Amino acid sequence: MAPYQLLIIGGGLSGIAAGIRAARFGLKTLILEQHNLPGGLNSYYVRQGRLLETGLHAMTNCAAPGDKHAPLNRLFRQLHLSRKQFDLHEQMGSEIRFAGRSLLFTNDPAVLEAEIAREFPDAVDRFRRLKKILAAYDPFALVPWRSTRRFLAEQLRQPLLEDMLLLPLMVYGNAEEQDMDLGQFVIMFRAVFEEGFFRPAATIREFLDLLVRQYRDFGGELRYRSPVAAIMVKDGRATGVRLENGEVVRAEMVLSTAGIPETMRLSGWQGEQDRYLGRMSFMETISLVPRSQAPLLTQDRTIVFYHNGPRLQYQRPEDYLDTSWGVICFPEHFRGLPPAELLQIRVTNAACYPKWKGLSAEAYGLVKQQWTKAATSASEEIIGNYQPSIVYQDSFTPVTIERFTRKAQGAVYGSGVKIKAGTTPWPNLFLAGTDQGYLGIVGAMLSGITIVNQHILR
Amino acid sequence: MTRDEIKDVILEIIADIDEEADFASLDADAPLRDQLDLDSMDFLDIVMELRKRYKLQIPEEEYPQLATLTSCVNYLEPKLKNV
Repeated sequence: MAPYQLLIIGGGLSGIAAGIRAARFGLKTLILEQHNLPGGLNSYYVRQGRLLETGLHAMTNCAAPGDKHAPLNRLFRQLHLSRKQFDLHEQMGSEIRFAGRSLLFTNDPAVLEAEIAREFPDAVDRFRRLKKILAAYDPFALVPWRSTRRFLAEQLRQPLLEDMLLLPLMVYGNAEEQDMDLGQFVIMFRAVFEEGFFRPAATIREFLDLLVRQYRDFGGELRYRSPVAAIMVKDGRATGVRLENGEVVRAEMVLSTAGIPETMRLSGWQGEQDRYLGRMSFMETISLVPRSQAPLLTQDRTIVFYHNGPRLQYQRPEDYLDTSWGVICFPEHFRGLPPAELLQIRVTNAACYPKWKGLSAEAYGLVKQQWTKAATSASEEIIGNYQPSIVYQDSFTPVTIERFTRKAQGAVYGSGVKIKAGTTPWPNLFLAGTDQGYLGIVGAMLSGITIVNQHILR
Repeated sequence: MTRDEIKDVILEIIADIDEEADFASLDADAPLRDQLDLDSMDFLDIVMELRKRYKLQIPEEEYPQLATLTSCVNYLEPKLKNV
């Protein structure tokens, strides 16, 4: 008999959440993580004695403890964690800024509606009608792909408003270029504009510690620095994995959170790997600035989504980076956080994986430096100057993301084509995480939970 | 287990699943899900917990028999008589 009932490839949020479910109900479970830390895309690293997060800007789906149907609270129940004891900090307020036009939003949906009435008085009635349609829409029904662009064009008849609403929802949860599936749009609209942004107290490390502790308390095992070299298959079934050091670990079932292309490669799954290569990746630049010298404008903003140009082009750029649109996040600007001496300013822009991948080791550092400067300068156009005050700065590129997370081509939202059922050609090998369908931190965890509930606990 | 013991086990399992669960006005003959505002994922947890504790395999087609507290007790009584 195999030593494990369930083997999970990847100790990111979907893998740990899946592990908690399986271990909670008595399955002997092992998580294999290649890195020496948990979290996957949402991990952390330490530079100059300071912890820096890799993915987390904000969590979506903010909800008060009493609302049992809220995705966040369902998530806590499924993981058997106390929602009442979980301390969260809501956003102050965020802004969508397009060449002179601006929309503010907070976790009170009335604010966005009032902002649209102010900025687009002719379109606000159509926006109100749109909200009613979205409220009645079931985004989890299995229906064919439907164009959000076309739907919004018909409903709003206001291209600028359409782009302004789409930017935050795409950049925080769309693997496709230019358009998105209407179901995914509805999920993101609720997650961002109706429920809103928050952060857990402290950092992603404490949140990951909480999850890993829960997993281990239920008897789950977790091994770091254990990269998987192959998923072993025999007689039409997965039998376990072989690690890069040659060690073989056998299991009755395998759950891969490494994404479809990587799972194909590991298992020898014959299919159109290219079809599942996501194209949206990003470069992120983190700058540390003393609070007293931070740009004034930013003091009550949590996240600024900006765009300069005619229509929003949510796509892989041809150049290394597209600084014409992006996200500027202030992770210290959530309500009730203790004041920090140094503020982080995180700037995120779409990046072109093949360009970064094609660089030689010598050229990479220089090019990264150039584009870090370009990204910082572009953000200064929006929030004001801060470059002279920067005491520390670091960037990561699509290549960094791929190296640490194994997300093919650094595509943080994975494949544009999802396998929602989480199944593979082998009856005991399953997929969870980004390429199964739910995105973001809350989404990733719900993905792990859903797949274990559907396929592994039954 | 007696009927009362089974009832207590069910309530204990639900309280463990949902820290907000309020049994003060629970009607034993009305659907648990509606009264306690449980969703299908929570309901699955009740089944899983019974399986873990008592090695009970409850097939999906028999889930409706767990709808109310009374029907749970009726359904589980013969299965747990030697526990």
